[in-house]
Order: sequence, then structure tokens, then C-alpha cells
Amino acid sequence: MTVPLVRAENVSRSFRGRVGWLAPTEIKAVREVDLTIGRGEAVGVVGESGCGKSTLGRMLLHLLPPTSGRVFFDGRALDDLTPATRRRLRARMQMIFQDPYGSLDPRRPAGAQIADGLLIHGLADRRQARERVRDLLQSVGLDPSHADRLPHEFSGGQRQRIAIARALATEPDFIVADEPVSALDVSVQAQIVTLMAELRSAFGLALVFISHDLHVVRYLCERVVVMYLGRVVEEGKSADVFHAPAHPYTQALIAATPSIRLRRRTREVALSGELPSPASPPSGCVFRTRCPHAIAACGERVPGLREIAPGRHVACIRNDVVAQGA
Amino acid sequence: MAGRITNRLFLPAAMVAAIIAIALAAPLLPLPDPVKMEVSARLAPPSLTHVLGQDEYGRDVLSRIIWGARASLAVAFLSAVFAGVIGTALGLLGGYARGVVEILTVRSAETIVCFPPILLALLVVTLVGPGVATLVIALTILYAPGYARVAFAATLATRGLDYVTAQEALGARPARIIARTILPNVASPLLVQFSLTVAAAMVLESGLSFLGLGVVPPAPSWGLMIRGARSTMEQAPWLLLWPCLALTGTILALNFLCDSLRDVLDPRAGVPQARWLKRAAAHVLPTDNPVLALSSLLSVEALTIEIDTPAGPVRPVRDLSLSLAPGETLALVGESGSGKTLSGLALLGLLPASMRMVEGRVMFADRTGRLRDLARLSESEMRRLRGNEIAMVFQDPSSSLNPVHRIGDQVSEAIRAHHQASRSETTASAVRLLTEVGLPDPRQRARAYPHELSGGQRQRAMIATAVANAPRLLVADEPTTALDVTIQAQILDLLAALKARGDMGLILISHNLAVVSEIADRVCVMYAGEIVEEGPVTEVFAHPRHPYTAALIASAPEGTNAQLSAIPGTVPLPHALPAGCTFAPRCGSAVEDCHTVKPAFVEVGPGRASRCLRWREVA
Amino acid sequence: MLGYALTRVAVALGLIWAVVTLVFLFIHLVPGDPAELLLAQGGVAPDPAAVAELRDKLGLDQPILAQYLSHVGGLLKGDLGSSLLDDHPIAEEIALRLPRTLELIFAAGLIATLFGVPLGTLAGLRAGGVVDRILAAATGLGLSIPVFVVGTIAILIFAQKLRLVPAGGYVPFSRDPAQHLLLLLMPATTIAVGLGAVMLRVTRSSVLEVLERDYVRAAHAKGLTPRRIVLHHVVRNALIPVVTVLALHMGSLLGGTVLVEFVFNWPGLSGELVRAVEQRDYPEVIGIVLVISVALVITNLVVDLLYAVIDPRVRHG
Repeated sequence: MTVPLVRAENVSRSFRGRVGWLAPTEIKAVREVDLTIGRGEAVGVVGESGCGKSTLGRMLLHLLPPTSGRVFFDGRALDDLTPATRRRLRARMQMIFQDPYGSLDPRRPAGAQIADGLLIHGLADRRQARERVRDLLQSVGLDPSHADRLPHEFSGGQRQRIAIARALATEPDFIVADEPVSALDVSVQAQIVTLMAELRSAFGLALVFISHDLHVVRYLCERVVVMYLGRVVEEGKSADVFHAPAHPYTQALIAATPSIRLRRRTREVALSGELPSPASPPSGCVFRTRCPHAIAACGERVPGLREIAPGRHVACIRNDVVAQGA
Repeated sequence: MAGRITNRLFLPAAMVAAIIAIALAAPLLPLPDPVKMEVSARLAPPSLTHVLGQDEYGRDVLSRIIWGARASLAVAFLSAVFAGVIGTALGLLGGYARGVVEILTVRSAETIVCFPPILLALLVVTLVGPGVATLVIALTILYAPGYARVAFAATLATRGLDYVTAQEALGARPARIIARTILPNVASPLLVQFSLTVAAAMVLESGLSFLGLGVVPPAPSWGLMIRGARSTMEQAPWLLLWPCLALTGTILALNFLCDSLRDVLDPRAGVPQARWLKRAAAHVLPTDNPVLALSSLLSVEALTIEIDTPAGPVRPVRDLSLSLAPGETLALVGESGSGKTLSGLALLGLLPASMRMVEGRVMFADRTGRLRDLARLSESEMRRLRGNEIAMVFQDPSSSLNPVHRIGDQVSEAIRAHHQASRSETTASAVRLLTEVGLPDPRQRARAYPHELSGGQRQRAMIATAVANAPRLLVADEPTTALDVTIQAQILDLLAALKARGDMGLILISHNLAVVSEIADRVCVMYAGEIVEEGPVTEVFAHPRHPYTAALIASAPEGTNAQLSAIPGTVPLPHALPAGCTFAPRCGSAVEDCHTVKPAFVEVGPGRASRCLRWREVA
Repeated sequence: MLGYALTRVAVALGLIWAVVTLVFLFIHLVPGDPAELLLAQGGVAPDPAAVAELRDKLGLDQPILAQYLSHVGGLLKGDLGSSLLDDHPIAEEIALRLPRTLELIFAAGLIATLFGVPLGTLAGLRAGGVVDRILAAATGLGLSIPVFVVGTIAILIFAQKLRLVPAGGYVPFSRDPAQHLLLLLMPATTIAVGLGAVMLRVTRSSVLEVLERDYVRAAHAKGLTPRRIVLHHVVRNALIPVVTVLALHMGSLLGGTVLVEFVFNWPGLSGELVRAVEQRDYPEVIGIVLVISVALVITNLVVDLLYAVIDPRVRHG
């Protein structure tokens, strides 16, 4: 079996709350997450606010070091490397951000920002870089002659294309896209999502696509990981998970997601209550305070991910509920 | 843009440059010796050789003023530059590295800021004695922390931005990131700080010289001159006024420059006008008595909104017509630039000051059954309807609630604006309303502040405020966009429940087709300021009769269609609308005529309408 | 709230300690022998015997730690040492004069706020109009004139030419309240000119910012009258940054008193400071600087706590 391209092993990440040093609170944004991504595989990470998906994404690239656990890239542990080695490795793993207005330096031309990676890693001299930038602009559907324009002269969708071109410049093997289309209009979203699908298959990229929009993730990714309050609650092939969700949270999430096709469906799986505070999560299963199927045993131990079918994992002790999904 | 910058900066920069130039040119000008005394001519009035007269020692006033400028300006600029270099370096390092470095650089700098500057300067002078060199050193130490703070804050702000993280992700070294990404973005506040520091240093130096603790006589300095002139104030007031004018004038010029720099580097798009304080008079059209079906709650006809831009008047919403029956939910769907939010605001008369309705009617049937044209009501009449018979819920609940007032008070306020009631009555009503919108522990929540509630709870509170007076019509502008999906579902259920109870009409503004499909009865699809299609939701989404509607539905990544089809191109801006159909340049079904003829909004079925010449073919 | 308050108090105490230490270290940080520096006049080397005597008086020959401990110990007992010139206890002098300076600051702050905040609100509400432009020009001038220029010109016009008020001086309140207040008016107003201009500007921009906020639009949508919106929603929120600014400018207020007390012969603490500096009376200078700095820290603490009262977000951390 080939070594997976990216592997996160029991990673956690805590932040210190800002109440002051009299009563510091610890907020665990990500708790003991395992994740593997194979070469050329597209994995979607979904969840609502506070689930830790963005933090996880940055940890996969070591832009945020894990507080515990390790992340491996191509078999090498990222925190074992010296900062210089890690920096060199970054040519192979890149990131695309959510906000098309914040991810580009307003003072530098688009072309220069796309060429940054090439020049930093010495992959091209200035002349070659200019050529490459033109090619990249073309492959993301922009006019190559616009390379010298400043970001504010482009629309939101066009800026995301520039960001994608920048990420592709060093020919990475792995890209983490953090909500790249959430800030865009529906019709523009479609353009960018289609573009990403095309580029992915053209370059054989491994992709982690973070989003709260289940429909987009289902369209783009083969596998999906569902997160809640820092933990992975379900994992498996997108088609399977969306068609027959096993974990109660996934079930509620899908039931709550409106769809054009389904008109006024009844909400049998209405999710009541609010997200618990990440500073003081419920004991045992973090979802039990809102789960319609919670029992006493749910509060005793944190349910680990168990395999209910090949490649399908769920973190829930209720076999009967889970069986709906298998 | 560049022209505007130079216009704003020209005058102040010229003033400052002129002052500096004169000061620098002092040795070259034909001036009498500034320190040469001529006691016999003390306090002499202006004469040919001494244009501004002579001071209490007979020295030439004009000469002393010009040479005094040199001392003051030199001290000010030197200390500002030295302080700038040191302070900026400290701030950049502290802001980028954080942790221990931050404590050592910025935090310790902040303790110096606690001292009043003049105190620190006096402390130094006590030990070392007055003099220009002492002054410069003291001022440098004093003002460096100010720069450090500014550089630190700007670095921190920039550091959090995605494009800096992107540089890290690309593998750039910290030095490169600081130099090429952070420093250019920090340059503007630093420039402002520089001009501020120069002015402050001038004030401090002149103050110290005035006390006799700054520049050492007989070298001239404006502060010293004022000090000297004080004793002869009665006999020779003009002697006092020249240095005062020179000093004040220079500081004024510096402050002016500083303000202009600030304006240019951090421009605010014009000054917001609180013109809602008195509503602009509505455009008067001839009123006939329109025949309105009694079942209609709201009937909008040909509403057009205009805004003045530097390039001329522009119409972001044109020819909008819709109607709403009691108890019905109508959705206004569109992407950004469609004009849906503006249309919603227009209904309540909440358009920003720069916009106005120029055509159309907004007929509303109030509680007494009377028909009112909202576009032609005075502000006080409109105010009686707002929050009372017509209400609005906004997109972002965290910014739409006043952070310093309790939730219960904000709900009560809505009630008391339109009804006479005692404090206890409104408090009870507020709690009741909060219960109705599904807030847990409503009594407790009523006494809480907005930041203590979650996003979903805040939106519920907002809705409570809006429905407090049982309005006939509720306009909800993207009420769930800022919320999580599971909370969104709860809020949509709430809106449906509230509507069902009181026959309230709901206009839902949204960009999300799926949400619309769930809760709306009818839908109006907007594109670039016009309604392009209208009809019952299920029919319109199942069988769209306008290419834009069809394209929107096809670009939603739902269901199991293998291919997402995207709409090429971008939405036209209101000042650059295409001739003919606004959608034609992006339309897959456009023919020759579509680019030249503006299609009318025609009926294409029972209760359905479309703005397309070829609707039969695209159906 | 308690947590916040305790944190602020602890920070303030820490700052006071830092100030005390820094002030103590100051004399040792300056290059050269402190006693020599203090006695040097116009570049002439001082008499070695006088230097030795001064060193002994200031305790400079003891080891640093011992000096520090006696310094701090003295402070805790309320002993600030004695003046170099006439040996009178500094703490007594400060106790006599400090209230007079505080009175000046308080009066100046009051006048500045009473004029600056309402005018600033007006300017903000009528932004771009004639009133706003006039106020902007006045503010620009008020910010640019150094405080001693204002004072001196004020004396020229009101005291000498118009003979409305005396040119300076002091009369204790108990002896003649009316005259006391009259003599307080000029110096306080002089300081208030600069501070008032700042407050006007800050209030104006704060009001402008608040006017753009969503909750103002939401209040409008509720059908509230403009008067209610302005008073209840706009001003309430706009005042929050204004309080901070007042605190930030405490430092310059104190600095202003140095010059104003000199110009108007107001026998406060700052005027004494100038005299002490002129005479190189180091212990007295140190004593006064210390007291003023501690007063500043305490003022900032009070403002921080006040902040928690005004802004509920701060209270809950």
C-alpha cells in the first residue's frame, strides 16, 4: 500500500482564551483528529462554525502547529523538519483562502503575486516567471495581458482565479482550499468550482476542500469528513454519506440543508438548541446535548471513530441509529 | 485618482515646504545678525533696516524669527526621524514575532508613553542641563514609543490578513515578508505619525525654551522670543505677536499636512450625511386613484431608484412591479448587483441619503383599510408605519442590535415607539415576544446584552423586535445568510410560524434559491436592477421562462447532475448597462434582436411573467 | 466584572512599580557622575569637595541595591526626601501644591468636555454643513496653538488691554471664593482650548462612525423619532471612545499645567517642578515626577473601570 500523501495523526489544537490571566480558558479548536489524504484524492471537510475545519486545514500545512499529534507529508513528519526545510517543502503544498479581497496584497500587481512562489523557491528566473504567469492566467480563464493590473481592478470571482493561479504556480501536489467560494455569488461559485474540478484532474492534485456548503462538497469531492466541535463524527465516500448519513449530526445537517429540488419537506430531524461553548464542551460525545438519540451512556466516554463499512467511519455508539447509514 | 491626491496635498505641502525653505535659506538672506545686541535701540518700532522692529535687547526681530525657525525645525525633524527609525523597527519586530520579542520591544515602549512628555524632558534637563543636543536625544526617546505603537498595531492588523499567511504558505522567509509585504502596508500610518511627531516636537521644544529650559540663549528660538517678549508685553505687544504667529502658523501648517495625509491615505468615501433626520421631499407625480384589488396588501408599480454619481445619475433599480397578498410569502431573488436589497430598503423609506425614488408607486393597505402610497408619504407619516405596520429584519444580527442596551429594552423600545404603555407593561410584552420567538429563558435573556447571545438567538431577538407591533408586512433581508445551516432551519421555521398566525405578508430577500424554494409562495427573480421573471415558486423553478433563471438553477451544485454549468461573464454595472436586454451579453439563447430591443415584462402564463423576447423558445 | 477589575488593578500596581524603578534608575542611566552633572554650570567643572558632599547627600556611594531599597522604603513611608536647596521635606510641599494642580486639571477637563462633546456631536450630525466647517476651522486652530501662547495672548487681551481679570495669582477658596474662581477661570480655560479641540474632533468622528452602524439603521426601521435615535442610540455609543481619549490626554493635560502654572503664577505642583528643574534640585524633581506619574496611572485605572460601566462588552470579558 502506498504511503498516503498527507496524514494527520491524532492532531489537536488549543487556543488560550482571553479572559485575563486570572482565569485563563482553553479552547480546543481541534480534538484528536486523524485524517489521511491519498495522492490525487479530493476530500471535503464540512461542518458549521466552531467545528474546527479551518484550523485543521491550516494544521495540515503547518501554518498552525498542532498542540499535540503530528502531521506527515509524503511520509515525513512536518514538525521534525527544520524551518528552512519546511519552507522548501511548501512548494509542494499550497493554500487557497476564503476572502477574495483579503488574500491578495492590494499594492502589488496580480502577476507579481502569482510569480512569488516561483521566485522564492528559485524555480524560474524573472523572464521565465513572466512566461509561466501568462500560462497560468490563461489556464484559470483570465486574460494574460492583465498580469500587471492591481487586485482592486478585478472582480471577486476573478480574484479567486488569481489566487488559484498563485497556488498552482509551483506545481504542488496538495492544495488546501478554505471556503474558496463562500464569498462569491452563486453563478460565480459555479465557475470557480468547475475550474477547480478541471484543474484538479488535469494536474492530479490532492485537494482538501473545506466548506459549510454540502452541495458543493458533494459535487467536487470523492470523500467527505464531517466535523462537530473539533471532532470528526463521520467519514466516508461522499455519495454514501450524503445518500444515507449514519451519524445523527450528519443526518440533522443534511435534513436542515435546503434544496431546490425538495420542496417543503418535513423536518423530522429538527436540530434544537445551540452549539455548546468550545471552552467547556459536554463530556463524552460532544454532540449529545443536541442529539435526538442521546442516552445516558453517551456522556461517559468519547466515542471513537469505528468502521461500519469499508472506508466508512462513524463516531457514535448507537448501532441502531448508525445502521440506517451503512 | 492621482490628481485628487496631489490636489489635497498641494496646499499643505507647499506651506510646509515654504517654511522649511525660508529656514534653510537663512544664511543666504540679507538679514542682520540675530544675536547682535543694540541696547540703545531696544523695543524700536519697525524701520527700514529692521523690518519688524527690534526686541528688548535691540536685536532684529525678523532675523531672529527666521533663524529661530532653524533651531525649532531642526530639533523637531531630527528627533522625529531618529524616533521613527528606532520606533518602527521595534514595532515591526514586536508585531511580527509576538511573544517575548513583543514584550521586550513594544510593551516596554508603552511604559514610556505613560509619562507626560514634558515631564520626561524636564527630568533629562535637570541632570544634563538645557541645550539642543539634549533636547534631540530626549525627544527621540519620548517619541519612539509612539511610532512603535503605530507600527505594532499596523503590523498586527496586516499580519492577520490572508495575503500575509499566503506568503508564509508560499515559503517566504520572515525577513522578506516583513520587508515586502508588511512594511509597505505600514508605511501610511507611519507617515501620518511622522508629521504628527514633528508638530508635537515643535510644541515641546518651544514650550521648554519658553521655560528657559530648552535652547540656550543667545541662540534664537521662538519659545525664547515669547519668553523675552512677555516682560515687555505692555509696552510692545507686537513683539509678542510675531513669534506667536510664526510658531502657531508653522504648527498649523504641519497639522494641516498631517490631516491631508490622513485623508489621502485612508480615504472615506465622502462624508455620510445623516439626512434621515429630514427626509428628502418625494418626487411628485400626478396621482390618479389606482384601482387596487382588495386582496392585495402591497402593490408596487414601476418603482425606479436613482443615485447621483460623478459620472451622472444612474438607476440601480428600474421598473420594479410586484404585489403581495396578506399571508403570502414573496421572495426577491438575485445575486449581488441585482438591486434586491435596495428595493427592500425603498419599501420602508430607508434608502441611503444619496438615493431617491424617482418613479413608481408603492401602494400599501394599512390596518384601517386605507390605501397609502409609501413613496409619497412625509417622513413623519412614514415613521408611524415603520416598526408598526411595516417592519424589517436585517442580515447581520450582531451589528443590528445596539451593543450597549439590553435585549429586552430594545424590544420594548419598538413597542413604546408606537403605543402608550407603562414600563412594566412593555417589559412583560417584551418577555412574551421573546418567548414566542423561541428564546430559552426569555426573562433572563431580556436582561442580557447582545454579545451574550449566540448568532441564532440574536436573530430571534431581532425578529421579536420586528414583529412586536404585529406588522402587516415584514421585509426580511437575507435573514439567515450569516447563520449556520442548522440554525438557519430553525429561523426559517420561526418565520413561517409567525406568518401563519397573523396573516402577515412576508417579503424575503435572498440570493439562496434553495431557501427560497423552501419557504416562499411566489418568487421574483432580479437581474441588474430589473425583475426578469415572476411566478409561483414551484413552477418557476421547475419550468423557468427566462434564460437567467434557468442558468441560475443550472449553476446550483445540487442533485446528481454531472456537470455544473456556469454563466460566463459578469453582472453589468448600473452605469454601463448594455443596450437591449440586460442579460443578452451573457445569454446562451440571445439572438440579434435581444441586443437592440428592451424586452417588456409580459405575462407568460397564469400568474407568471417574464422579461424575455424569446421566452417561448427557452421554456 | 470582578475579574476585569482585579486585572486592571494588578496592571496598575505593576505600572507603578515600573515607574518607581525607572525613576530610580534614571540617575544611574545617564552617562557621567550624577553629582558632577548636577553641579556643573556652563561647562565649568565643579569643585570636587562639593561633588563629594552631594554624593553623600544623595547616597550615591552606597551599593545600588541598598539605594533602591531605601528609595522604595522611603516611598512606602510617604517620605520623598528633602530638597537639596533648603532641606524642606518634599512630601509636605507636594501635599500642599498637588490639590491646586488637580483643581486646575479638573476645571480644564470640565470646561473642555462641556464645550467639546456637544459641539462635536452637532458637527457630526450636521457633517459637511456650514456649522461643521466653521467648527473644523476653529478646531484646527485650537489644536495648533501651543498652550503657553494661548495663555500669554489671553493675558495680553483680557488682563492688560481689557482689564477684565487679573493677570495671574492665587487666592485660597476659603478666603475669597469668588476671586478664587475668577483666578481659576483663565488658566483652566487656557488648557481647555487644546483639550476641547481634541474632544470636539474625537466626538465628531465617533458620531460619524456610529451613524453608519447597522443598529442605527435598525433603530430607524423601528420607527423611532430622530431625537430618540440620536440621544439613545448614537450619543450613547459615540461616547465610548471619547472616554478613552480623555484618559489618553491626561498626560498632555498634566504637561499643559507645567506651562500654564508658569504663565499665570498658579502655585501648583507643576510650577514648583519648573523651579526645581531650574535649580537642579534633583530629589525634588524626582519626587514630583513620581507623584504625577502615579497620579496618571491611577487616573488611567479609574478610566478603565469607568469603561466597564459604560460598555457592557468589556464587563463580560
